[in-house]
Amino acid sequence: MGNELIVNNPLRALGLEEKAGGTTQAMMGLVMARAGLGKTAILVQFALDCMLLGNKVLHVSIGEGVDKTRTWYDDILSLLTDGEKLESIPEVMKNRMIMTFKESSFSKAKLEERLDDLVQQNIYKPECLIIDGYDFEKNDKKSLEELRDFMNTRGLKMIWFSALSHRDDKRVSLDGVPAPCHEVDMLFDTILLIKPEGDSMKLNIVKCDSCSVDPGSTLMLDPSTMLIKQV
Amino acid sequence: MSKDLSKVRNIGISAHIDSGKTTLTERILFYTKRIHAIHEVRGKDGVGAKMDSMELEKERGITIQSAATYCSWKDIDINIIDTPGHVDFTVEVERALRVLDGAVLVLCSVGGVQSQSITVNRQMTRYNVPRIAFINKCDRTGANPEKVTKQLREKLDLNAHLLQMPIGLESDLKGVVDLITMKAVYFDGDSGEDIRIEEIPAAMLEEAEEKQEALLEEVSMFSEELMEALLEGGEVDTALVYDAVRKGTLALEFTPVLVGSAYKNKGVQSLLDAVESFLPCPTDVVNMALDLNDGEKEFAVTNDPKDPLIMLAFKLEDGRYGQLTYTRTYQGTLSKGDTVFNRRTGKKVKIGRLCRMHSNEMEEIDSCGSGDIVALFGVDCASGDTFTSEGISCSMTSMHIPEPVISLAVIPVDNKAQINMSKALNRFTKEDPTFKTFVDHETGETIISGMGELHLEVYIERMKREYGALVEVGAPQVSYRETISQRADFNYTHKKQTGGSGQYGRVAGYLEPLAEGDYEFVDSIVGGVIPREFIGSCDKGFKKSVEKGSLCGAPITGVRCVINDGAYHAVDSSDVAFQLAAIGAFKEGYLKAKPVIMEPIMKVAVEGPSEFQGSVMGSINQRRGMIIGTTEEGNYSVVEAEVPLSEMFGYSTTLRSLTQGKAEFTMEFATFKQVPKSVSEQLVKEYQDERKNS
Repeated sequence: MGNELIVNNPLRALGLEEKAGGTTQAMMGLVMARAGLGKTAILVQFALDCMLLGNKVLHVSIGEGVDKTRTWYDDILSLLTDGEKLESIPEVMKNRMIMTFKESSFSKAKLEERLDDLVQQNIYKPECLIIDGYDFEKNDKKSLEELRDFMNTRGLKMIWFSALSHRDDKRVSLDGVPAPCHEVDMLFDTILLIKPEGDSMKLNIVKCDSCSVDPGSTLMLDPSTMLIKQV
Repeated sequence: MSKDLSKVRNIGISAHIDSGKTTLTERILFYTKRIHAIHEVRGKDGVGAKMDSMELEKERGITIQSAATYCSWKDIDINIIDTPGHVDFTVEVERALRVLDGAVLVLCSVGGVQSQSITVNRQMTRYNVPRIAFINKCDRTGANPEKVTKQLREKLDLNAHLLQMPIGLESDLKGVVDLITMKAVYFDGDSGEDIRIEEIPAAMLEEAEEKQEALLEEVSMFSEELMEALLEGGEVDTALVYDAVRKGTLALEFTPVLVGSAYKNKGVQSLLDAVESFLPCPTDVVNMALDLNDGEKEFAVTNDPKDPLIMLAFKLEDGRYGQLTYTRTYQGTLSKGDTVFNRRTGKKVKIGRLCRMHSNEMEEIDSCGSGDIVALFGVDCASGDTFTSEGISCSMTSMHIPEPVISLAVIPVDNKAQINMSKALNRFTKEDPTFKTFVDHETGETIISGMGELHLEVYIERMKREYGALVEVGAPQVSYRETISQRADFNYTHKKQTGGSGQYGRVAGYLEPLAEGDYEFVDSIVGGVIPREFIGSCDKGFKKSVEKGSLCGAPITGVRCVINDGAYHAVDSSDVAFQLAAIGAFKEGYLKAKPVIMEPIMKVAVEGPSEFQGSVMGSINQRRGMIIGTTEEGNYSVVEAEVPLSEMFGYSTTLRSLTQGKAEFTMEFATFKQVPKSVSEQLVKEYQDERKNS
């Protein structure tokens, strides 16, 4: 099973595998798409990858419950491994913690307080952080910068955000990053954009400062499973 | 007998302990004229509420066993299963939900959605039970139905909306405003039996109109006709609204919320009307059975009273009338004197008497049909058995039964108590699949095991009260298991020659981990190296061996014993010799197969104000718990974790002091997991010391 997963390893596909094992400054990545195109599926693949590499993942879900988030992991792992459940692999399962917030309850301060609770009491020390559902329209650049600085001081290696873009919002950054992230794109090392094209789904690599893949290149997604196909 | 099934409602009443559901049931029975006076749960008259028929329940003011009762409201027949509210008895709740078509979720207007409501709601969702909510105790200080409805939406994720507004609150509670009919409803008379319908008080009219508009907008999602009528403007036919609410409720996409106070006799009749209008009848629900002739393939039961009978025994009770078996009929008709088949045992059963139960009183009937919940008299069966007529071989879907996780020794004080205890245990194990009992061969003690400390405590009390069995009780013990982690060979010869006929038997083969199931014996002997008559002896020997492991004395599970070689002696080989050879062989293979100790892991959910989340997580971490996730909503948070049961003793006290009594927790069995090395060493040492001292 392990080998199978490493073969289809999405971090390796992007050349980011070393980041997950490294100790330098945290890599901050962003997956963008319109509603319902599979941002969470991509984030969960990165998270599972980190977990299989032995890193502890904290999955922060804003607006979704624990059960639904857990189902994402089971579904993706099951697709990757032919029916394996995370619960039956305790050594991998222990590398994941889910923290969910109602949209109205989430704040940067609260997340920082919760993370400190975990780390200072030696309960759980995450190395990869997934933040799914962060509201880029309501939160400004300064707040995101502060969040990034905080994460750096807490020894995180990798932080992935998801962001929702809208078809009718035409604003884009110079690098082609759509709104609402067009003004904060410089804060991210990696920016991926999910785009449907006919019957296929593509993952456009808009920005990738530390990847082995060139910006502008594309990874293919299996449209029925949203798994990143081998490159 | 042909009955209009659209006029039948099989409902459950579930809630957090102390939400007042037993009082509510009592009022329902009063208004449906099944009883003629009202008794309180902890009333001064010493009679107690009707549904709490067990002595113990009356004393503690809690409902332990779900008693089924029948009543009729207007032209509707209602079967009510009163379900227990404490987390340790969830198997009762689960069983009740299995046979119900709809449910009433009772909430306290002050306490709101509490931990048990969350567990019960999860169970209802698991069994796809459409539900309506009743916010009770609106007469209490601090009552806030709006807040509770919001909690239903936020904490239980239900699309809950108030169909009523209370007229006055707390001690001023006078009645309710019906937001569908837009009338005020008052409950007059000594016991609220006289319903008076009036215009909405002028001071409330504007708010009521606003609320009705919001409600109609919400329920119009479930009915195109209603949506069209709203778009056209003008008066909306209430029938369309009822229909839309019903559709949303049945699809589990809408939860109607009603308000009242059962204790003050307010709003109960409106709740009964809602049961009639919004909860499903048996034909609204699809129930699946397993075809035993076709590899247990699922098929939907027909509900047709003319079809062959399919009936599920969902509860047994040993009352003053002898054994009563509560059943739900899914299709067909059963009449007094009919012969049916118990599909588990394959035995024919003649039905002597059929009764409709009214808590612990009964009413004899001649026949029952699909959709009915009735009790059979004097039928020998276990809970969960399916009865069918001849020619149809099927079983209702098996129920989710959790493994017992805690055990304790019970020692009868004298011979009389011993006899009574056996009777009681025999009955309890038939009634409750999560309650198990066995005799520890080494100590000779009777061990009972179940789902929690309170679960066992209640059975011990029942033994004393109902059976007069006085017992001494040992300290609760966690039910550990042992299992093997790798394959190992064995080749053991049992030889004994001490005068007279000797004993000889050689058994060879291997042990290996078994992914599913507790024990499997595989006979791969060829060429008769062990004669056929001794193969069973080997199986017996292995079975004896797995009863108690050598690490900590716990039962061994998940092991396959394969024999593929051996030897015998024409004179000295015997049944006993091969049993002993198998025991020796197991011992030899077991230690080589790297045995490990497994412990029960509980799924724990702690809920409380967010300010305590850090300390709650810390307390779980100290108990070897693994935090699965946290949920934060406003100032309220839930921490979900998996924690070994052995670490959970005394947790309620710890939690209380950590959170100033503001947090509470629920737990249910999740799985068995290997214990860490340090704990394993400690358990092995304790077991060895115990053996030395005994």
